[in-house]
Amino acid sequence: MKIKQFSLVDLVLGIAAYAWLMLSVFIVLVPILWMVSAAFTNGSLLSGVPIFPDISKFSIEHFVYIFTYQSSNDPSIFVSDYIRAFLVTFSIALTNTVGVVIMSVITGYAFARLRFKGKKPLLLTMMVLQMFPSFMGMIALFLLFRQFGFLNKPLYLALIYTAGSIPYNTFLVRGFMRNIPKSLDEAAAIDGATPLQILTKILFPLIVPIIGFIAVGAFMAPWLDFMLQSFFLQAENTTIAVWLYRLTEGQNTAYNPLHFMAGALIIALPIMIIQFFMQKYMVHGLVSGAEKG
Amino acid sequence: MKISIQKRWSDLVTDIKHNPDAFKSALLSTIVMGLGQWRNKQRAKALVFFSVLLLVVLVELFSGSYLYAFSELSQYPAGLDGQLYFIRDYGGIFTKGLWGLITLGQITAFQSYRGQFTEAFNKVIPWLSGDNSISLLGNGLIALVLSSLVIAVYVQNIRDAYVSKKLSLKQGYIETGKGYVKRLWTDMFPFIILLPTFVMVLFFILIPFLFSFLLAFTNYTYRVVPPAQLVRWVGFTNFTKIIAESGWLNIFLDVIGWTFLYAIMASVSCYVLGMIQAMIIESKYVKLKKLWRTLLIVPWAIPAMISLMVFRNVFALDGLANQALLSTGLMEPVSNFLYSVGLQGEIGTVIYWFSKYMNRNLTKLVILMVNLWLGAPYFMMLITGVLTTLPKDLYEAAAIDGASRWQSFKRITLPLVIKATLPAIIMTFTFNFNNFGAIYFLTGGGPARPNDMVPQSMLILKGVPGSTDILISWIYKLSFTRNEQVFNMAAVYSILIFIFIGVISVYNLAKNKGIWEEE
Repeated sequence: MKIKQFSLVDLVLGIAAYAWLMLSVFIVLVPILWMVSAAFTNGSLLSGVPIFPDISKFSIEHFVYIFTYQSSNDPSIFVSDYIRAFLVTFSIALTNTVGVVIMSVITGYAFARLRFKGKKPLLLTMMVLQMFPSFMGMIALFLLFRQFGFLNKPLYLALIYTAGSIPYNTFLVRGFMRNIPKSLDEAAAIDGATPLQILTKILFPLIVPIIGFIAVGAFMAPWLDFMLQSFFLQAENTTIAVWLYRLTEGQNTAYNPLHFMAGALIIALPIMIIQFFMQKYMVHGLVSGAEKG
Repeated sequence: MKISIQKRWSDLVTDIKHNPDAFKSALLSTIVMGLGQWRNKQRAKALVFFSVLLLVVLVELFSGSYLYAFSELSQYPAGLDGQLYFIRDYGGIFTKGLWGLITLGQITAFQSYRGQFTEAFNKVIPWLSGDNSISLLGNGLIALVLSSLVIAVYVQNIRDAYVSKKLSLKQGYIETGKGYVKRLWTDMFPFIILLPTFVMVLFFILIPFLFSFLLAFTNYTYRVVPPAQLVRWVGFTNFTKIIAESGWLNIFLDVIGWTFLYAIMASVSCYVLGMIQAMIIESKYVKLKKLWRTLLIVPWAIPAMISLMVFRNVFALDGLANQALLSTGLMEPVSNFLYSVGLQGEIGTVIYWFSKYMNRNLTKLVILMVNLWLGAPYFMMLITGVLTTLPKDLYEAAAIDGASRWQSFKRITLPLVIKATLPAIIMTFTFNFNNFGAIYFLTGGGPARPNDMVPQSMLILKGVPGSTDILISWIYKLSFTRNEQVFNMAAVYSILIFIFIGVISVYNLAKNKGIWEEE
């Protein structure tokens, strides 16, 4: 009886649900598929990209360009612009990861476990500071870097990324640590452990998941930032993001939207794979963050 | 508040009257750091404070060029006009820094000074270099921060001399230097491990922000080129300019209006679509939930910068959008439809998505759509996560009471989900308010405003916002477009954003008690 009552409405709603989902997936995938097909299309015109697959236009010339094209005549540089940009970005990313993990674990620990004067105002200041894009202070940073001779040195740029991400990551670590019972610390303190030992020997192993999350975030940040890199690094120290953006600039000699599509593809792929692996942590973090409110 | 300060002051005065001996120690420490501690027979502590004083004096002496002052003053006396700035020429990091912050420099390059002729940069005689106001401002800020730290130690030194003496008189016990160092270590431990963080946040976030803000009170634009010209403090002129100059307010309100519209619409549309997707996937009709979810999350996994630049190509004149319309024969009906609803300015066969001012509303719509593509998956994930935590028995109880599915959605699901995700909504709003990339990588602020829509004074000054520029992308334009840099106005708008975002986030935090409570 009951089943029959439901079925007609169910059928209509079911079809509607699937139709909606298929439409959504279509809209989500079309630009991506277009990007992929553009990356494998010959020539240099967007209008040459076929809407439907066309084998006669297939070409890997853009990938060949990316892995072989060198703009400098310096014989000591034997890799393509892309690979060089990749290595520069990689070095920034690695430095940033190390810096961010150390700084945010220490800072998060201090704010989660230690008592000191001015804790709340400091926390509030950090919370407000993280709301602003760092380029609002970029003119000053630029002058500061020029003063100290840090311009065009990729590793010093990591300082800015690290400093910029301390506030947010501090909150993550602090939130995570507060879920670890304080009795663990107290027991260790009774046994004569110093605060530093408590952090390294007892708390550190317990917060590995959040550290992994922070580390991946810190590693990815420099790949996706454009602003700082475009002003602080030049010529031989061009990074991936800037290199990619240049390919889309009409006045640039390297301008070729299809080169860009190929470049976008090989940069987006590894990041997508990492993101999908991180998804589980991400959702967990999102939900637990939301529940607290 | 005022009463309590008065009371504290009178308490302090009575306390001092009762402890004249401690007051003497404090007075000695006021004159020379550490002297009071020496009198209190706390030698180690006295040395610590005295060495701070010594360090400050030495740094000031050797970062300046006082050593040359004596001989040079007779060799190069003040010029005929009597100009001589002693601190400018010989001051160290503290004095010259503060001097520079207050004056922003006095002597430009290529003028006569003390009987000599100044240059842009003179390596041998530093004071013959023209003043670079911007460097002076930066150094001045650093000097200000360092001075406040020194003053904090100085105050602590006076307080300590007083309190220690009082304590030793009362208890007849003098804290040993060793004991002090040990106590200092435990008290200071949090600050010591936080020191690197403080230094980094100070130098890479706080000082740069302060610097940008101070520019709002100067006349610094691309036309002022230090050291050939000096930057000057101009007070609130730049703030009143927005209202005083004719036509500026219109453009400013236009940008502000679009910024708010964009931030609100972008957040709400992503939230609503994310909720719809989550509800549909979680509903009983849909099988293979995980597959659908994975497919729909894809945009979230792609770096936003790349997606935005791909979309810039999609909506290029020869991009995917126009090609698809042309090859399916839909170009004309779509174009006519857009014309009839007023989104397209002229009847034509090809749609200029991003490049015609008359189509600016269409451009804005496309920006919101692209943002929806990028942003909805985040909320879909978030809301899916929240849905799994909702208590099942509520729905059962509602069903027994005869509630329809729509009613139980409206009365149970919606309030619970919104309550759980409210902080995320507010954070998304502030994020979108500052979502520079969504504009810069997609349209670059374009289409440009035609000249007759812009007041003459703004055209002359340059840095005119495009018709889809939001506040933050306008600031970027004002700060970094070569020969269009209007630094002071960029700083004015930064301050407006700062106030606005600051108020929202403090409000959000104040409501969000969970973040604050101590265990």
